[in-house]
Formats: sequence, structure tokens, C-alpha cells
Amino acid sequence: MDCEKFDRVVLDLLYDELDELTNAAAKRHMEHCTRCRGIGAGLRATREVGALPLVEPPPGLEIRILDAERKLRDRLPLRQRMGRAISIMASYAMRPQLAMAALLLLMIGSSLLLLRERSNERNAAHVAERGVPENESETVAIVPITPQREKARAPAPLAARGEPDRVAKKESPDRAERRARSVAPAKRYAEPEPALGRLGGGIEEQSSGSSALPTDEGESDFGAAMSAYRDGRYAEAQQRFDEIAGRGEARAAEASLYAAQALRHTAGCPAAAPRFEQVHSANAGTQVGYEAAWQAAECHRALGNVSRARYNYQLLLTATGYADRAQAALSEMDEASAAAVAARSAPKARPKAAAAAPPAATAAPKAKKPAAAAGASKRSVEIDTSNAYR
Amino acid sequence: MAAVRGDATDEMLMVRYQRGDREAFVELVRRYNRSVFNFVLRQVHQPNVAEDVTQDVFLRVVQNAAEFKHEARFSTWLYTIARNLCIDQLRKLSHRKHPSLEQPLAQNDASRTLSDVLPDGHPEADAERSVVSAQVRRTIVAAVDTLPDDQREVFLLREVANLPFKDIAEITGTPENTVKSRMRYALERLKEALSDFEEYARALR
Repeated sequence: MDCEKFDRVVLDLLYDELDELTNAAAKRHMEHCTRCRGIGAGLRATREVGALPLVEPPPGLEIRILDAERKLRDRLPLRQRMGRAISIMASYAMRPQLAMAALLLLMIGSSLLLLRERSNERNAAHVAERGVPENESETVAIVPITPQREKARAPAPLAARGEPDRVAKKESPDRAERRARSVAPAKRYAEPEPALGRLGGGIEEQSSGSSALPTDEGESDFGAAMSAYRDGRYAEAQQRFDEIAGRGEARAAEASLYAAQALRHTAGCPAAAPRFEQVHSANAGTQVGYEAAWQAAECHRALGNVSRARYNYQLLLTATGYADRAQAALSEMDEASAAAVAARSAPKARPKAAAAAPPAATAAPKAKKPAAAAGASKRSVEIDTSNAYR
Repeated sequence: MAAVRGDATDEMLMVRYQRGDREAFVELVRRYNRSVFNFVLRQVHQPNVAEDVTQDVFLRVVQNAAEFKHEARFSTWLYTIARNLCIDQLRKLSHRKHPSLEQPLAQNDASRTLSDVLPDGHPEADAERSVVSAQVRRTIVAAVDTLPDDQREVFLLREVANLPFKDIAEITGTPENTVKSRMRYALERLKEALSDFEEYARALR
């Protein structure tokens, strides 16, 4: 620091208004500079000695001021009073605590709104069927699958044959679950029709979902036909489905399949089997065609028309979603044939052994023979009675 | 009414008074009435006038309380009011002859002045300056009285109101360097007046 700068800051130094660095620099300069040291010392001495003596105000001054203040406050015009009130309110409104409280209330309010909206949402998930793009109208509720449910949801064609456990054993767990989800999910809009449970999962779900919620007039006709079908008015349903199929609309193929189904309900498999085959040939290579072939095979099998049944099953060996089932059905038919052959050969061997046996013992084979014979045709008999075709 | 804590700043007290806390105003009066009275007294030189002006200063505070902003310094605002009222008062008194603080009380008693009879209620100063003679005090007061108005104003704001130069510059509406120059001149004049007491000043150092 030089003398010129010292002269600029000497008063700040005197009244302690300098920052620490400048203060130290000024003091260092005073130590080396006689002139500036003299100036600083003179000013300090003058300030100390020349301090102005303060006069005590009159004793009543404070009271006079406060009295005057009270009177003035009472006489304040309304405008100033309002201004003061606004100032008071504004000072409260500008407090950070109030702002925080308002923010908290806002957060709680918005959270409650969101929670309320979420609670109204149904516990539903939109699923795509086998990788097919999700259908807007198809909404499937997620229902926990219990062992009983899974058993009940086993594929209808095999379940109808009275061997659900056996089917479950043959299928891998993943596959069984996938089938259970695709074939028999809990339907939101309608309970699954037992006979429709025999249809392929994709077709059945699509038709059931869309029939319950028709989106236009064509869909409305289809829905009406489905309603008649579900209500057991099969003749009316068949007529309606035939009309839809005859118009060649978008869902004509499905309608023809359902018409055949309805016919099966009214006239039985003898009339329905050719109709299924007709639908199959008209829609070969499609899902409807495969389902029609499956239904035809089942009908033929129920009727004991083994060769036609085999033929239709064999057609399905290359069809996606039906190959396994068709193969299983063919295997069962082979087993049934083998059992029948064994049953036929068994009575020829038994009489030799029975000759030495007491007469009472011979009654058993005789009694078993009808049972064995019944076992040979067990498949067809059970299907006839359990599949409700008639 | 909430009790006023001693560590509350002037600005906090003023904001509380704006909200209707009269106790805050009482505290402000207690803090400032002495220094304001002295500032006014050294300007107008008449105790009764100084008393009235001091009262007016605080009433102006009451009247304009709503305009006070928390960001401003209360002391700066208060002394701005006091300065303006002093200027008004000096204009009124300029045409009248008024007694000086150093004017003899009576024609036949030249040894006593008004400043001698006014009570000096500065206890700390009393302790420190107990040895300062009445003659020295009279010399100081006379020196301050004879200062030019602009220098006396700065001197009083610095020494009596204890305001920093920056605030004095704001109150007087002059640059800070000008304020410092005026203060320097005032101190130089005071130093000249006290030159007879130089030995005493050296003793203090």
C-alpha cells in the first residue's frame, strides 16, 4: 500500500470499516511510513478526545412519543389501516411454512386422486393369445390356477373321454398350463359353453369374446346366434349361423362351424359328421378347418366309424395346435384295437385252464368276458355317454 | 402481545410492528430516541425543538410503517426521516434568532452554557472521559457547532448515529468518497480546535 491509497482508506481504518486484508496492509504501511503514521495517530486521537458528549433526552420524551403513537394509530385513515392489514396477511402468506404446508396438501390431494382412480381399475390383464396381437375386445381376468381348476380346464376332447389324469401326465407342466390358460380362462362376459370347450382355444375365445360384445350389426347377428346357441336354442342358432355363413360375411367360416355344432346338438353326430367334413373341406388349412376336422373325427369315433375317424385325425397331424391331440387320439385308438384283439383271443385260451377248475371258478371268466369285451369298446361307449353329443 | 427479545434486529422489530405488535415499536423507541434526539439537538441547537422533532421522527415512522421494506436498514430509514425533518426545522428557524448550546445562559453568568446544564447520560463515556474537563467538552461542542452544515451532518451521522459511511452516503444522497472527505475535514477542524489539548490526547494514546 502506498501513501495515496492510505489517504483513501484512512477513515475506514479509523472506523474499522476495512476488510481484514486491507486493514493489515494499512497497518503495515503505517509502520514504515512516518507521514501516514502521523496522520492515522492524529485522527485517532482527535476521535477519542473529541468524542461528542451525548445529551440524555428529557425523561418524558419516550412516554410522549408512545402516547402520540397510540393516538396516531387510532386516527389512521381506513386506507392505511387496510394497507396494514394487507401487509400483515401478506407477511403470513409469504411465510415458507405456509408454502410448505400448501405443497404438502397438494401432494396428498393428488396422491389421493391417483389412488382412487387406480382402485377403480379392474384387476385385469390384456393378454395376447399365442403371440397373436392383442385383441382390444378380449379381456381376460387373471385367476389363480388351483389343481382342481386345472383339472377342470383340461382340454375338453380328452377330458370328455374320461381320462383327464392321463392327459395331464402326458403333457408337460408348461404345456398343460399354457393350454389351461388358452382353452379355459375365466371369461368375463360369459361362462364357457361346455360344447364350445371342444373348440380350438383361439377360435373359441375370439368368438365368445366378440359375440358377447358385438361391435357392429354383423357382429350383432353373430352375437344373437351365439346367444341362442348358449341358451340351448340350437335349432334357432343353427338357422342364424347358416344365414351368416350364407351371406359370406367376415365370420362366415366360424358361423358354418357353429352351425355344424348346433346341428350336432339337434340331430346328433350322424348328421353333424358330414357337415363338419364339409366345413373342413371349405376351410382347409385354416383354424376353422382344423377344428371342423377335429370335430368330424370325434363324431366318427363316437359313431364307431374308425376309419373315417383315423383319416380325420391323420389330417390333423400337421396342423398347429392339433397335432399332439390327434396323435394322442390315434394312439388311444391303436391301444383300444390292441385291447380288443387281446380280448378276442383270451376266451380261446381260457377254457383249457377252466376244464380243471371247479364249475364255480369257470363263472369268473365268463363273467369277465363281457367286461373285457366292454373294455375293448370302452372308448367309444364312454364318449357316447359323456360327451353329450346326443 | 409477544415479548420483545433483545437480540431481535431493528428490521425484525419493524416488521413485527407492521403486523400490529406495539411492543416492538416501544423497543425501537428505546433503542433510538437518545441518538435521534442528540442528532436533532446538534442540528437545531434548541432542546425543546429537538424534543418535538424527535417525536415527529417517530410519528413519521408510525405513519409510514406500511412502506418499510424488510430489506432496508431501519436505522438508515429512521435517520433519513430525522435529517429531512431537521432540514425543514432549520428552514423554519433560519429567520429566527435561536440560542446556541454554547451561548451563555444569562448575561450575568457567562461561565455556564446550555450544554453544561443539559444532562450527559452517556455512562460509558462518563467512565472513559471522567477526566475530560468541562472546558474540553465545550471546545468540542463549539467546534462541531461551527462546522459547515454538510460536514456537521456527516460528523453527527457517523459519531452520534454510528452509521457506516455507505449508509451516510445513502441518507445524504452524496457519493461515499464525498462523505469521507467531509468527515476528514470535520475531524481536521476538530483537531485544530483541540490542538491546545494535544498533550492530553497523547496521554490517551
